[in-house]
Amino acid sequence: MNQPLLSIKGAEKHFGAVRAIDGIDLDIRENEFFALLGASGSGKTTLLRMLAGFEMPDAGQIILDGKDVSHIPPNHRPVNLMFQSYALFPHMSVFQNIAYGLEMEKLPKAQIKSRVNEILDVIQLGDLAKRKPDQLSGGQRQRVALARALIKRPRLLLLDEPLGALDKKLRGQMQLELKRIQHEFGITFIIVTHDQEEALVMADRVAILKDGKLLQSGTPREIYEHPSSRFAADFIGVMNFFPVHEADGKLIAMDGSVITAGTPMSAGQKGVTAIRPERLSLTAGAENSTTGTVIATAYHGLDLQVHLKTPAAPEPVLIRLTADVAEARPVATGDEVTVYWAARDTRAFPL
Amino acid sequence: MRSTANPKLMLMILSAVFAFLYIPISVLFALSFNEGGLPTAWTGFSVKWYGELFRNGDIMGAALNTLIVAVISTILATILGTLLAIGVETRRRKGHFLETIIFAPMIIPDIVLAIALLSFFSLLNFTMGLHTIIVSHVVFNLAFVCSVVRARLKTFDWSIVEASTDLGAPMPVTLWRVVLPVMMPAVIAGALLAFTLSLDEFIIAFFTAGAGRDSITLPMQIFAMIRFGVTPEINALAAIVMTVSVIILALSQRLNRGRLPGQ
Repeated sequence: MNQPLLSIKGAEKHFGAVRAIDGIDLDIRENEFFALLGASGSGKTTLLRMLAGFEMPDAGQIILDGKDVSHIPPNHRPVNLMFQSYALFPHMSVFQNIAYGLEMEKLPKAQIKSRVNEILDVIQLGDLAKRKPDQLSGGQRQRVALARALIKRPRLLLLDEPLGALDKKLRGQMQLELKRIQHEFGITFIIVTHDQEEALVMADRVAILKDGKLLQSGTPREIYEHPSSRFAADFIGVMNFFPVHEADGKLIAMDGSVITAGTPMSAGQKGVTAIRPERLSLTAGAENSTTGTVIATAYHGLDLQVHLKTPAAPEPVLIRLTADVAEARPVATGDEVTVYWAARDTRAFPL
Repeated sequence: MRSTANPKLMLMILSAVFAFLYIPISVLFALSFNEGGLPTAWTGFSVKWYGELFRNGDIMGAALNTLIVAVISTILATILGTLLAIGVETRRRKGHFLETIIFAPMIIPDIVLAIALLSFFSLLNFTMGLHTIIVSHVVFNLAFVCSVVRARLKTFDWSIVEASTDLGAPMPVTLWRVVLPVMMPAVIAGALLAFTLSLDEFIIAFFTAGAGRDSITLPMQIFAMIRFGVTPEINALAAIVMTVSVIILALSQRLNRGRLPGQ
C-alpha cells in the first residue's frame, strides 16, 4: 500500500489546562479532499494551524511525504493555508497579492507574471488584476485568497472555513467550484468546517472532531449511514432518537413497544435507537412501527417534512416524505399516522 | 438626536468662539506685514520684516538649532515609538501598568518633566547642549508616536502577517513588505505630530539646554527677544512657524484618517 501523504501521529496540543488537541491519529492520502468537521472548540482549527506550522505539537508527530515536519516553521513547509478572514494584503493589488508567494521563491519576473495570469484565468478575475482587495466583493476576495495559496502548488492546501463569509447561494456555487479546482490542480485539500452539509457535499473523506479527539473518520456515506457514536449520529444530518433500555435481548421504548435495531446493545443497558427521517415510511411491512399524531407539516418542494408526536419518543419524530409519496397519500396536521422502519436502518447507541 | 436650540443662536456662539480663537492670530499675521512695525498704527503693506528676519543671525542660528533638534528627535522617536507600539500590541497578555507608564510623558506637566530631566542629566554629569534637548524631546515624542501608531494597530489584521509567513516570507521580509506599508500612514502621522511638538517646545528645551548660544532654540530665542518688547521680526517669525505647524498638522491628521497616499 502507498504511504499516505500526511500522517498525524498522536498529536497533542495544550493551551494551559485546555487540551485543544488530545491525541489525534489521522492519515490523509494524496489527492484527497478531506474535511475536518467539528463544532467550535473541537480543536479543528488548532489542528489545521498545526499542519500549517503556526502551532507546534506538544507531543506526537506530523509526517508529510515521509518527513517529520512537526517543528518546521510555516515559511519552510510545502503547505499553504487559506485564511478564514482571507488575510489579503490591503495595500497590494489582486495581481501583487497572488504574485507574493512566487516572489518569495525568487522566481524570474516573466515566469511569475505568466503563472499569475494563468491562475487569474482559472478564478476568472483577469479583469480585476489591478484592483485592491477593498474594491472586491466577498466572493471575489475569496477567490483571490484561494489563488494566492494555490499558486505555490503546495503538497497540501489547508482551507479554514473557506465559505463561511459567503451567502448561502454563493456558498453552493463555491462548493462545486472548489471541488473542480481541487480536481484540476491535483492538490490535496484539507478543509475545516462546522457545516456538516458542506463537509458531506465536498469531501472525499470526513473526520469528526470533538473536544480535541477524533471521533470518527470515513467517507460521507459511511459517516452518514453508519455513525459510530450518538454524537456523530446527532451532529451529521437530522436523526430521530428513541430512548430504549435492554431487557431479555430486546430493546424496549418509552411506551413499552419493542424496537429492533441493526446493532446490538449489552444486557440491561440504557441507550437510544436512531433512525434517519428519510428511512421512515408510511407503508407497512418493516420490523418497527409507531403511531402518533401529526403536529406540523412543512412543505419543502422536494419533500414534505412531517412532525409526529408519538408516545415512543420525547421529541416529535421527523418524517421526510418525497413529493410523490406525499401526493399519493396526503398527510395533514391532526391526522393519526403509523410509520414503519426497518431494523437494518436502525442503530442502537448505549448512553 | 435633533437639536432644539435656535440655529441662529448656535451660529452666533460658534462665530464668537472662532473669533476668540483666531482674531489674535489674524492680528499677528497682519502686523507682520505692517510697514511701520508698531502694533498701534497701520502704515502700509510691506514684507520688509521678513527680510529683516532672515538677516538676523541670532534668529537664524536658533532656527537651525530648532530644525536639528526637531529632525533628529523626530527620527529617533518615530523609530522607537513604532517599535514600542508593535511590542505593546503584540504582547499576549496586556498589562495596564505598562500602558500607563507609556502614556506618562504625555500627561505629566512639561515643567515637571523638564525638572526631572534636568536633575537626571546633572546627576549623570552630562554636559548640557543640543544633544540633551534632543534626548529630552525623544522622551515625550516617543509617547505621542507610540499612541498614534497603537491606535492604528488596534484595527490591524494580524492574520496578514501569518499569511505572509505562510507564503514563504521570513520575518524581516514580512515586516518590510507587509507590516510597514500597512502601518505607514500612522507612522508618518506620528512623525509629523512629533515634529510639530518639537518645533515649538519651550519649557523642556529651556531647562535642558546648555550655557551659551550654541543650544538656543527658536522658542528660547523669541522668549529672550520679547523681554525687550515684541519686535516686528518676531511677528514675521511667529507667522512662519505658525503656517508651517498648521500645514504639518493638517497633513498628519489627513494621513491618520487611514487613507494610504494615492488611494
